[in-house]
Amino acid sequence: MTATSEPGQLRPGLWQTVNDRYPGSMITKDGLVPLAPLHKPLSQARLSFVSTSGVQPRGTLPFDVVHPVGDYTFRRVPSDSSPAQLEIHQLKYPTDGAHRDLNVIFPIERLQELRYEGVIGGLTPDLFTFIGYNMDPGLLERTLAEDLAKAVADEQPDLVLLSAA
Amino acid sequence: MTEHVKPPRAVFVPFRMGHHFGVPFHRELQRRVITDALDLVTTATESGTIVDLPLTWAQARREGIAIEQEGGRR
Repeated sequence: MTATSEPGQLRPGLWQTVNDRYPGSMITKDGLVPLAPLHKPLSQARLSFVSTSGVQPRGTLPFDVVHPVGDYTFRRVPSDSSPAQLEIHQLKYPTDGAHRDLNVIFPIERLQELRYEGVIGGLTPDLFTFIGYNMDPGLLERTLAEDLAKAVADEQPDLVLLSAA
Repeated sequence: MTEHVKPPRAVFVPFRMGHHFGVPFHRELQRRVITDALDLVTTATESGTIVDLPLTWAQARREGIAIEQEGGRR
């Protein structure tokens, strides 16, 4: 549990508040990872997308959004899915916009358009989602983060777009 | 939050929670957030780069309402 407020932070003191209310729930990182350069033009690069939106194919096991310490699993979303084939199991962020147009939080149609137009070289067969409410950072790092990183790497993307929700 | 996570590259959008790519049916805006993020892959020169996109939630909402009143998508 470490206070990490920095001068440039938009809401100074926020992390202290989070740490006080949910002790041990914050992962604190001291350093930055080195930049990994893209070794080919974007128009030839295969993109994957990882989102904490909790979007999942209809009919797949819903995320456990009411578990007190969270759900440490992830879901695969085929990158050729239509929004009508997907749904959201999530209580922790406003989904009013997403229920009218899923692209506001999981922009699958925009990604498909970028692929068809050749802006990007392609999409990985699956995209990935999990839910952001996970209150045990150690468990998250040992399970979800490791499992998800392996699953994404196995799809051999050249770059990965990450988005919170 | 973005600063705390320390991603190698990030774009920050001042949008509502749950609406990180904009507002419903505003295809241009949704696409722009993605392409601006992808541009950073080639333009960022040091890890930890965070670019504040020059967007506002108020403007996004106004444009979204206009698009819906036109009955179309943009």
